[in-house]
Amino acid sequence: MLDDIKPDQTLDARGLSCPMPILKTKKAIEKMKSGEILEILGTDPGTKNDLPSFAKKGGHEFLGYKDDQGFTRFYIRVK
Amino acid sequence: MPEGELKGILKRGYGLIFYENWPVWLSGIILGLLSVLCFAWARPWGVAGGLKNWGDWIFYALGVYNKAPEPFFQSTNSLLTLGLLWGAFGASLMSKEFAIRFAPKWELLKGCVGGIIMGVGSAMAGGCNVGGFFSATAALSLSGIIMMMGLFLGAYLGLRYLYWELEHISTGQGGAGSASGGKAVQPYLGALVLLGAIVFAYLYAKEALTRQGVLLLFGVAFGITIQRARFCFVRGFRDIFMTTEAEIPKGITFATIIAILGFAILKWAGLRGEEVYIPQATWFGALVGGIIFGFGMVIAGGCGSGSVWRAGEGQVKLMIAVLFFCLSTSLTENWINNSEQLTKLMGSAVFLPDYLGYFWTVVLLCIFFLLYLILSVWNERTEKFLVQP
Repeated sequence: MLDDIKPDQTLDARGLSCPMPILKTKKAIEKMKSGEILEILGTDPGTKNDLPSFAKKGGHEFLGYKDDQGFTRFYIRVK
Repeated sequence: MPEGELKGILKRGYGLIFYENWPVWLSGIILGLLSVLCFAWARPWGVAGGLKNWGDWIFYALGVYNKAPEPFFQSTNSLLTLGLLWGAFGASLMSKEFAIRFAPKWELLKGCVGGIIMGVGSAMAGGCNVGGFFSATAALSLSGIIMMMGLFLGAYLGLRYLYWELEHISTGQGGAGSASGGKAVQPYLGALVLLGAIVFAYLYAKEALTRQGVLLLFGVAFGITIQRARFCFVRGFRDIFMTTEAEIPKGITFATIIAILGFAILKWAGLRGEEVYIPQATWFGALVGGIIFGFGMVIAGGCGSGSVWRAGEGQVKLMIAVLFFCLSTSLTENWINNSEQLTKLMGSAVFLPDYLGYFWTVVLLCIFFLLYLILSVWNERTEKFLVQP
């Protein structure tokens, strides 16, 4: 299912650790339109907990994540 | 088939402990209990003291200090912090989360600067979030609560800085990757690492150093608990302004109340000295040190314990933060200790029961932490303290 997603924007947060991935995601989402999909690339294991709860709190839809080679891809649909 | 069932139970147990993250509230309860047991065994839990010992050794090796510090493998400070690193490393391997995670240059610089700032703050406040705030509060020192106020202010300023940085400094997009490799063998390595700690403690016991060996195991237990829940003290002070999530405040409240009750019993009953873990930092050292430390931990993305356990799971930025924390806290603390004026400026030791009695101290501290919890949950709903960029 996640393989079919066509993100409107990709945020490369690889190498960043808490709280930078969340702050950058917040900033990226503010510039996006409702319904668009943001893809976030990350390497911090904490992000797997932080992004879903961040999305939930902001009313965005967390679509899921999948592991790639040495990093993880996360998907959020903007409110 | 019984054999298959046993395998199933073991597999589920492994999954529960090392696959899922532990709930933060549960880890808070475990941290509270562990810290009481650790004090009953030998001494309260601390992190920055160990980092200072390591910093002392680095400067001694470089010829900057002429007097040899307490032996690295015997100092209880050093063993507790070594155990924390050891436990976090083992737990991250067990859960296949270990990877050498490189960071962009700007982030590495922030690790370095954050580490230096934290080292100064903890030397002033008499410890980091663990020794200066958590264990000091549990030990019924006024300085713990004062440092907490400083930490809020420092975390707020740190967050403001991060917002500013996002707008004004282009750090380039990620790019830095991670090298993990060998995911399949990680759990076996992790089991070896954790078993190694037990062997270590056994060898210590044979040398009549049982006290020290078991303290290392306490450190390992703290490390596992903290890594598996990703228990980050920084978030207890920063999230109130950043995400308004109340999960960590919940964990901190549970941990602190349990520790307060346990420490009060040990001290009241005369089993442990009343003066233990009452820093001479009320009020200047705790307040200003707390502000400085709070700012540094937000820049670094980890406090004393937070930097050590993240270093244990392979994060290069936090390894750098730990190294510079060691160096700066060693220099600052020795500087303060060698100056009568500075020592006086930091403040005096205030053991709350001397003024309020044990009963009211414990009651008021518990009410105080429940208020912190209630305010955090209220803030989660209303976002009253949320700071916008």
